[in-house]
Amino acid sequence: MTRLRHLAVTSASGLLLATTAAFAQPAENTIVVGLSADITTFEPANISSRDNANIARHIFGTLYTISGDGEVSPDLAENLEISEDGLNYVYTLREGLTCHDGEALTAEDAAFSFNRAKDPANAFTGNTPGFVFSSIGFQSAEALDDRRVQITLGAKNPIAFGLLTEVYIHCKDSYEAMSLDQAAATPIGSGPYKLASWAKGSEVVLEKVGEPAKMEKIIWRIIPEASTRSAELIAGNVDIITNVAPDQIDAVNASGNAKVQAVQGTRRMYVGFNLSEEFAAMPGGDAIQNPDVRRALQYAVDVPTICKQLLNFECVRATGLVNPQNANQSLTPYPYDPDMAEKMLDEAGWPRAADGTRFTIRFQAGRGRYLNDQNVVLAIAQYLEDVGLKVEVDLMEWASVYVPLIRERNVGPLFFLGSGGALWSPLYDMTDLARVESGTNYTHWDDERWFSRWADIAAATTPEETRVIVDEMLQVFYDDGPWLHMYFQPDFYGVSERVDFVARPDEKVYLFETGLK
Amino acid sequence: MSDVTTDGLTTLAPERGSNFGRELRRAGRSMVAAKWPVLALLILLVVAIVAIFGPMLAPLDPNRQNIMLRLAEPLGEGPRGATFWLGSDALGRDVLSRLLYGARISLLVGICAIAVGGTIGVVAGLVSGYFGGWVDDVIMRLGDIQLAFPFILLAIMFLVVLGPGVMNLILVLGIGQWVTYARIVRGQTLSLREKEFVEAARALGDSTTSIIFRTILPNIVAPLTVIASFNVASVILAEAALSFLGLGVPPSVPTWGSMLAESREQLIANKWWLAIFPGLAIVLTVLSFNIIGDWLRDFLDPRLKERR
Repeated sequence: MTRLRHLAVTSASGLLLATTAAFAQPAENTIVVGLSADITTFEPANISSRDNANIARHIFGTLYTISGDGEVSPDLAENLEISEDGLNYVYTLREGLTCHDGEALTAEDAAFSFNRAKDPANAFTGNTPGFVFSSIGFQSAEALDDRRVQITLGAKNPIAFGLLTEVYIHCKDSYEAMSLDQAAATPIGSGPYKLASWAKGSEVVLEKVGEPAKMEKIIWRIIPEASTRSAELIAGNVDIITNVAPDQIDAVNASGNAKVQAVQGTRRMYVGFNLSEEFAAMPGGDAIQNPDVRRALQYAVDVPTICKQLLNFECVRATGLVNPQNANQSLTPYPYDPDMAEKMLDEAGWPRAADGTRFTIRFQAGRGRYLNDQNVVLAIAQYLEDVGLKVEVDLMEWASVYVPLIRERNVGPLFFLGSGGALWSPLYDMTDLARVESGTNYTHWDDERWFSRWADIAAATTPEETRVIVDEMLQVFYDDGPWLHMYFQPDFYGVSERVDFVARPDEKVYLFETGLK
Repeated sequence: MSDVTTDGLTTLAPERGSNFGRELRRAGRSMVAAKWPVLALLILLVVAIVAIFGPMLAPLDPNRQNIMLRLAEPLGEGPRGATFWLGSDALGRDVLSRLLYGARISLLVGICAIAVGGTIGVVAGLVSGYFGGWVDDVIMRLGDIQLAFPFILLAIMFLVVLGPGVMNLILVLGIGQWVTYARIVRGQTLSLREKEFVEAARALGDSTTSIIFRTILPNIVAPLTVIASFNVASVILAEAALSFLGLGVPPSVPTWGSMLAESREQLIANKWWLAIFPGLAIVLTVLSFNIIGDWLRDFLDPRLKERR
């Protein structure tokens, strides 16, 4: 009995502590956002994940910006001139710009922001060097005068303008004075908010220092568990949450405090086949080198059922890496046909052994970043096992375990990932695979029929000509590509009745214009 | 048979009992008198039977997903005319079958980890206590260093490096327990090595190994049994905690801890059966081990013997 009494007292104390430690409702001038994944850095050239970029974009300005529906507007720059050969972009900065430490922001600082990201000594792997620069063949940036900065590309690129909007601008003197570690932890930005505090794994607090910004303070809380995020939203402790779990939508909507905004997102969800030599030596890694095996596996997974049952929405399966509006319209999604998958695997030289297994393969994934990702991964594994694969699922913590592996292009042989997309050009979505060595080519795919065509796109003179080449490339990707096509992720945002936030389809949570109702 | 008490714990004298049956009957009477240990023993017997015969008892494959039949309530319709007696989870897997398989992992990990930790701890404690001097210092300081780290943090660190898996889990949890055994055994050995029967064994020319393992060790079995019964409970809880954190066993192996972890997402949607059943299984098993441990401690304490 003594033991039971002790247990009861301990439990009651714990409950009391938990209650008193609960977060209070946000203040009038503060907005609180609950994110699913932790963030790893504020180094502007090392930021790559969407949650990380969402916070960073409030701290750093960019030359131009693109809205959710593809509308372009100036940010730090007010004018752009592109040379006739399409290789030189000259931006004119607005007058009177400063960084958060008071330093005047000039064309020299803008040029520094580009050149610093490219400097091999820094070994940056973020979105700017890993995706933007490798896509546009960035050469150099130089200040023409105090307000004009010239960006030079290696080759003409029809979407370079859009890609250049993703480079964060910061000041030269402040960053030259900091070590890389300091730059990662204490950013000195050029945007309307500055970093007030950052408790890793817990919260990031931003304070208003300029315009446009409706709220004085934005608090980003890291809440990895979906049910906790929903509970916090329902309790009124947070104003916006990302990645509402599909099974919790009804509970949020019925709470009276918040509603779920559902948006058809642009993120391409896929199972990647890592085709590098290193992974070819692993069990199953040799099998997926054969495009026939990869094609067979496309038939093995029932994507519409996964969408309906696990994500709570009806989806049309992807035909490639480009969002449906811009995809090759002659392609039809692979149907769910396990018999066809089995037949093709037999023909590809991977028959079932006596124990029913064709080959064993490891399937790696992160947990908690994407919508219901763990269950989606387990469901995919089940479908693959149904056609004879022995799948060893390896689910990892997202930010500190899986992301570093992804950055090193070192996951697989099968891995689950989502890649942010856009609707304003098919080329943006295709740019993940701009070059074999691109930081975003996590599969190490090197098919010449794809990669050699980028030169043709650069040489194309009309949109129609470009479209023909794009469609041919997408056909190659559909037939022999390195992705097992899944779906375009729907986004479920839980939004408190207190705020006027409107979700965008590109997962960008920008709160400059968000205020109280 | 005589009892020798040291620090409140009981040791058995070297005369081994021909009166084993009498002691067993005394234990039975004591257990019945205390009531709760009988229930605890029954629960543990059920868990053990389930753990051994789980695959035969499980109505469905615990890993077979049926996402069209996900989140079925208890007694809901399962695949091919089967029934989900305890409902289905978020991937349409049978909760009852997973619970039955989970018992196997919980008990396996609990008992094997105690075997690993107990073996290391007993050997270290015997050597440390018997030889003393620098050997004692080194072993005990190693134990102190390990105790300076929170156990669960240490386990997480090891599992991140070694990767998840039943063997790794047993190893990590076992290594985490050795200090407890080593300290108890060392204390007992320090006391016993000066006793007359040990002196006698030495005088008769027994080897050191024989004295340690054949003369001293049998006299420490009783307190070890008490410690182990409590320890199994804490190891089962630790396994559940690590599986809850995703560091236990691979997702394809159902465990009570991982079932609880998976239920988190569904609690807010009122899918109560996903948390209640594995939670109950853990609570009942751990409570039973604790009750048995409590009873054993009292039963083997000679100071309470007269009151029994």
